[in-house]
Amino acid sequence: MLDLLSVENLSVRFHDQKVLRNINASFKKNKITAIIGPSGCGKSTLLKTLNTLLMEDHEANIEGKILFDNENIDKIEKEKIRQKIGMVFQNPVPFPLSIYKNMEYALKYYGVKKDERKMIIEEKLKVTGLYEEVKDSLNKSALKLSGGQQQRLCIARALSIEPEILLLDEPCSSLDVKNTKNIEHMLLALKDQYTIIIVTHNLFQASRIADETLFMLDGEVIEFDLTENIFNHPKEQRTKEYVMGIYG
Amino acid sequence: MKHLSIKLWSIISISLVMIIISCIFGFLFIHGYEGISYEFFIKEPNGMPLGSEGGVYNAIIGSICFTGIATIFSFVFALSIATYLVFYEKNEKIKSFIRFIIGIIAGVPSIVLGLFGYSFLVVYLKIGISILTGGIVLGIMIFPFMEIRFEKTLLEVDINLIYASLSMGVNRTYTFFKIILPICYKDMIRATCLSASFAMGATAPILLTGAVYYADIPNSIFSPAMALPLHLYLLISEGISLKNAYATALVLIVLLLLINSIPTVLDMIGGNKIVRFIKRRKS
Repeated sequence: MLDLLSVENLSVRFHDQKVLRNINASFKKNKITAIIGPSGCGKSTLLKTLNTLLMEDHEANIEGKILFDNENIDKIEKEKIRQKIGMVFQNPVPFPLSIYKNMEYALKYYGVKKDERKMIIEEKLKVTGLYEEVKDSLNKSALKLSGGQQQRLCIARALSIEPEILLLDEPCSSLDVKNTKNIEHMLLALKDQYTIIIVTHNLFQASRIADETLFMLDGEVIEFDLTENIFNHPKEQRTKEYVMGIYG
Repeated sequence: MKHLSIKLWSIISISLVMIIISCIFGFLFIHGYEGISYEFFIKEPNGMPLGSEGGVYNAIIGSICFTGIATIFSFVFALSIATYLVFYEKNEKIKSFIRFIIGIIAGVPSIVLGLFGYSFLVVYLKIGISILTGGIVLGIMIFPFMEIRFEKTLLEVDINLIYASLSMGVNRTYTFFKIILPICYKDMIRATCLSASFAMGATAPILLTGAVYYADIPNSIFSPAMALPLHLYLLISEGISLKNAYATALVLIVLLLLINSIPTVLDMIGGNKIVRFIKRRKS
């Protein structure tokens, strides 16, 4: 199986504090990888590093290599990388614009023609299951949508520019069971077209949707294996304690 | 009990401020009302000594010109520097150095700014006493206030919105114009109007650089002009006409009030609608 994204000896420091320590991992194409671990173990930082968003943080010091399609991302323009590696944040962040304009935002930037834009927007809203709910009110402010709808809009927006990888940072943490289920179903359906990396606190969620799971602790990768192995036959004692809920 | 005393304190403070402001307005209105007429607005100062008759038309136009140039000059620099400090400069030391300089500008007394404008712009660069020179000096005076308010407004934008935009590979400029500016423009208009009214009321910076005892309606930015605050000062200090002085003060206060009510009016008639309308016309 092809590794679309891989990380070699990645370390991140904020001043004297090391947040990520020597991370090595490869993320496979068209698979869902879950990153699990207790709060503050560096999951979100790892995700932000992957699409170079962490470089916007002036205090972060990044060392190591990130390879996208076997090419070092240092050598590619940041904007290009971010176009290929989309990201969805923990709390939904719709722009203070209408639903349609939220979806149109990046497409306009990339110069997509009006008719094509309309097609893409409709398609992506359908993929995220939002189309039926909002088709009559596309000009309504996105801020008026419910939390779950906002998050699905953000996912649709991230997909509008056809990234190859989708990074999700605890996308369901502020959602109820029903909305979480919606998003999980959607992610499973999206797997064929996109490579998905999801940070989650919810171990059940990881076991339900992920093909592979990466367990992190204190900025280090403790174990990275098939989800089934992580949850049923962990090699490391710390992984075992975490998935059994003894720890973290 | 503590809660009640704080509430009481606030109510007393608000009432006091309102009473003082009403007194100032009331006082000016009662004394200035007689001098106000249609002619007062549209006629130039007349009589011997000058100003004892006629109106303040030239001074109104002059003041608007000074304020306009100062606001444009200051706005351009304030917006670019605030944007640079908030979104582009990464080095904290450089940032604090720039903020330090801005703080120094804010601390320079306005008469010193006026003298600087006179010696540098008027004498050394030979621009002469003009609206441009006066406007620039006023612009320097209001720049720190505008910049600090702009910076504060920009800092209030949710960083996650910016990240969400950047995470789609969109560059900073597009993010700035499409996300940040639409969020901030109302506060920016408010800050601009506040600074503009500050400029309109100032006398010292234009005393030696642009404002004169008497001038015709300026026909270019290189001609000197009259200004309301200076005209008011001369009417009083030379003992020309107390009636006209009160009327001039009232006109100045009303002008300031008008400038300060621009953001509120825009809010009321739906500033968004106007922007949307302009955008639609453009596209």
